[in-house]
Amino acid sequence: MSKAVLYDATKCIGCRACQIACKQWNDLPAEMTTNGGTYENPPKLSAYTFTKIRFNEVDDGNGKLRFVFTKLQCMHCEHPACVAACPVGALQKTPNGPVTYDDNKCFGCRYCMVACPFGIPSFEWDKPLPWIRKCTFCADRQGGGLEPACVTTCPTGALKFGEREELLIEARERITASPGKYINHIYGENEAGGTSCLYLSPVPFEKLGLPNLSSEPVTVNVERAMGAVPPVLLGVAAAMSGVYWLVKRRDRMGCEKVNEKEEVSK
Amino acid sequence: MTNHWIDIRNADCIMIIGSNAAENHPISFKWVTRAMERGARLIHVDPRFTRTSSKADIYAPLRSGTDIAFIGGMINYILNDMEQNPENYNMEYIKQYTNAAFVVNRGFTFKDGLFGEVSDGKYTATAKETWKYADTETPATDPSLTDPNCAFQLLKKHYSRYDLDTVCNITGTPKDVYLDVCRTFCATGQKGKAGTIMYAMGTTQHTYGTQNVRAYAILQLLLGNMGVAGGGINALRGTSNVQGSTDMCLLSHILPGYLAVPQEADADLETYLKRVCPSTITPKGLTGDKSANWWSNYKKYTVSLLKAWYGGAATRDNDFCFNYLPKCDPGVNYTHIGMFEAMGQGKIKGLWVWGQNPAAGGPNSNGEREALGNLDWLVVTDIWMNETSEFWKRPGVNPPEINTEVFVLPAACSYEKEGSISNSGRWAQWRYKAVEPPGEGMPDLEIMNLIMLKLKELYQADSSAPQAEAITSLDWNYGVHITADAVAREINGYDLTTGELAESFAKLNDDGTTSSGNWLYCNMYTEADGNKAKKRNNVDSHPNRIGLYSDWAWCWPLNRRIIYNRASVDLDGVPWDKEHPVILNYNTAAKWQGDVPDGGWPPINQAKDSEKYLPFIMKPEGVARLWGYERVDGPLPEVYEPWESPLDKNLMSGTRNDPCAFIGKYRNERGTSDQFPHVGTTYRCTEHWQTGIMTRSLPWLVELMPEMYVEMDEELADEKGIKSGDSVIVSNARGEIKAVAVVTQRFQPMKVGGKTIHHIGILNHWGYSGMTRGDSGNILTPHVGDANTTIPEYKTFLCNVRSAK
Repeated sequence: MSKAVLYDATKCIGCRACQIACKQWNDLPAEMTTNGGTYENPPKLSAYTFTKIRFNEVDDGNGKLRFVFTKLQCMHCEHPACVAACPVGALQKTPNGPVTYDDNKCFGCRYCMVACPFGIPSFEWDKPLPWIRKCTFCADRQGGGLEPACVTTCPTGALKFGEREELLIEARERITASPGKYINHIYGENEAGGTSCLYLSPVPFEKLGLPNLSSEPVTVNVERAMGAVPPVLLGVAAAMSGVYWLVKRRDRMGCEKVNEKEEVSK
Repeated sequence: MTNHWIDIRNADCIMIIGSNAAENHPISFKWVTRAMERGARLIHVDPRFTRTSSKADIYAPLRSGTDIAFIGGMINYILNDMEQNPENYNMEYIKQYTNAAFVVNRGFTFKDGLFGEVSDGKYTATAKETWKYADTETPATDPSLTDPNCAFQLLKKHYSRYDLDTVCNITGTPKDVYLDVCRTFCATGQKGKAGTIMYAMGTTQHTYGTQNVRAYAILQLLLGNMGVAGGGINALRGTSNVQGSTDMCLLSHILPGYLAVPQEADADLETYLKRVCPSTITPKGLTGDKSANWWSNYKKYTVSLLKAWYGGAATRDNDFCFNYLPKCDPGVNYTHIGMFEAMGQGKIKGLWVWGQNPAAGGPNSNGEREALGNLDWLVVTDIWMNETSEFWKRPGVNPPEINTEVFVLPAACSYEKEGSISNSGRWAQWRYKAVEPPGEGMPDLEIMNLIMLKLKELYQADSSAPQAEAITSLDWNYGVHITADAVAREINGYDLTTGELAESFAKLNDDGTTSSGNWLYCNMYTEADGNKAKKRNNVDSHPNRIGLYSDWAWCWPLNRRIIYNRASVDLDGVPWDKEHPVILNYNTAAKWQGDVPDGGWPPINQAKDSEKYLPFIMKPEGVARLWGYERVDGPLPEVYEPWESPLDKNLMSGTRNDPCAFIGKYRNERGTSDQFPHVGTTYRCTEHWQTGIMTRSLPWLVELMPEMYVEMDEELADEKGIKSGDSVIVSNARGEIKAVAVVTQRFQPMKVGGKTIHHIGILNHWGYSGMTRGDSGNILTPHVGDANTTIPEYKTFLCNVRSAK
């Protein structure tokens, strides 16, 4: 019911057709870039770059060089922190998987940017009327029975689209079928409460640049924080009212005492 | 390719050498990935660890230019292993389908790197005689493979010098890795196992590039990998439709269908045919006793071609207009480098550059750009302004001083016109027009048609020039609005007696009753099936589903997807590989099923005497050549150093360079390793295309790879005080370029011949034209070329690097 994408880093050749397909489908402009001594560009995800490939030259632990690639994009979490943090509900997790964004509701507070453990939502800093932008999981293509643009274009099948539960089964099968080829872990199965973007890797996931997260949804803290707002508001309001009443009462009491003294002395 | 793209998934082991398939042919990696999902192992041999190496089970570093040492060592490994463990190899294949057993001229000598006497950059005629078989008409064979003069023993003796230590000292490959490669790839020598070689420019762009490919042929034949599914020698063509362009002869030495271009001494058709048409050679002592010698049909294809070009004007009486064909002057090199040498000497006055960009894509850019200035006129047909059309205002020159008149004809790109594209697998697929070309852009076909109609008009008005008849007699009958369809039919050819499309090249005649613009493509367009390049039937109809998809598009020859496929069965017609047979069931079906057989004849043991057809039909002797006596620089690949080498001498012999390499003289300064100690090599990246004219003006691609860059290892960068991202200057005897340094672990210093050498990887996508600009890598490459083909040695030369700060 909920769709997901499995990214198998052992099949990705870093060709970046996915980066271009995404730009083409979403009509995104190219960014001005320079070569900073790497193939990687643009340096970060942004309002104009929803997905990118990270190039990792890593040691495989046995002194051998490995060149492994990471596809970065919105993870379309099962329990999105951005959804919990958004005060107006502009971000929503849909039953089919995509975390959608409605710029009719958004008022630009950028709490989502602070909340996301993957640092995904990007802001249109250079626009006078800026919105948040991020990978849409090609919800529009999915609506038309198509797969996301990146998946469709991937030449090697490093990206696979399907039901989340089925992809998890397939991922486990791949690990079992080739012992030693993969790290025995599916990233995104449980991280941050589980994500729609699942990863298989031949090297530890930190080497792919993926953050080390517990299985507790980040929303728990967000919810706690956000959920605390009304009671805290009320509590503080009540406490301040109490203090006000006390101070006011003391003033009143002080005035009455002075008046009493004056009456006695007459 | 001898095989095709999808067939790669059938391999048990894939060796990618002289190629960076993942980066430069990403779609090919779909099939490599499928093969690996089935358990195939991937070996990548390359000076640099690339996106291809990232997927390989074994990555073997190789000093650029040392492929012959690498493969020669593998050949030696096999020949030794074969002695101990013959059951690991297909000895029947080797003895019956190759010239292993053939007895060679007993006068053959090999000494100190030379196969006989060399004079003036060529082996003498006497030397070349000694390379032939002892009996050139009916060669004797030794089935035991022990005669010291049989090809097998000569091979063994030659490659016995390619021992592990010598090879790894030349290539810089760690010995344990090298042995791993040998064991893994050579395991495909087993009957029923298949190994494929995927290769590209890293193999060919050397002064001995042809011999590099010959080495693969020897390797694959010893392993029984030719003609089988998942095997073959598979060239990854470097441009969309370059396969089509070579099939149609856009090269200086061939006519369409790989017919030889006439020479001055070919006074008439008969003399020409005598020179080029091979006599049949019938080996004695093999079970197969008949060689089809398919090139014996030369006359049919030549005459049919002339009929296509000259129509009714071509008759038996005038040799079918043979003498209208331009003929090459003796000893002149008409290839790209040869042409620019002549241009540099002021011998060429006009040049038409069509969909090409020599000012950035040719070697020795400074020299070639200057040579263009010697032209009176230059026509450039292209979809963008490029370095060639703008050569006269390039940085550093004064335009008023250049007297070349430049015309630009705007062309149409592939989506703006109709026609076929032939891929690396020889598949011709029809493409349709999606949009109109912008502005005045016109498809090449229409440009050519209008030019030719005008030329005919001019020569008809004044036919005094000697070449006038060659133009006016041309059967150019497309009208003003030429169609790709009409040309496709003409290329297929016609039975001129009926006016119907010719069915196949087997039905072409030498008497002027048939025409065909390219005999290889005869059968693509038939009365029964129409234009088969348009077929799109997505069903794998082969009985074992080996991925031929024979009803999708059409391939040459005759839609045969895996060529030499009669070598995929034994003498009784039983496939070596039961799981992936290519042709099968002759004995039960009374004809071959599966792929189009490479000759429909019965299996050798079932055939009648004198009709036991051998499988390698394009060779006059019917078997494949381990011993190849027709290359100009020797019957066997031998280690030489590149023209500019970091080593003072060849570690294998006293002959430093290929004695027959083409060495240009025009502005072609040669550097020494004292001045320029590092090995430069040029290559491409996924994100850009050729000289970058198509891609450096596309923002999405420029975003990915915005600037000209070079790659080097961390040790060299440290030595020079260069950090990744710094601006650097790479220089050599021919020029200097500025680039961004990408410092990476993917290049490593190599221990070679007692020295530590560093590579510097140089991209060749940039130039001074287009939306984003940079220096051209080819400013550094030398004006030298392969001994057989003159393909430039883009892949290995000397250079130095310094910080630009």
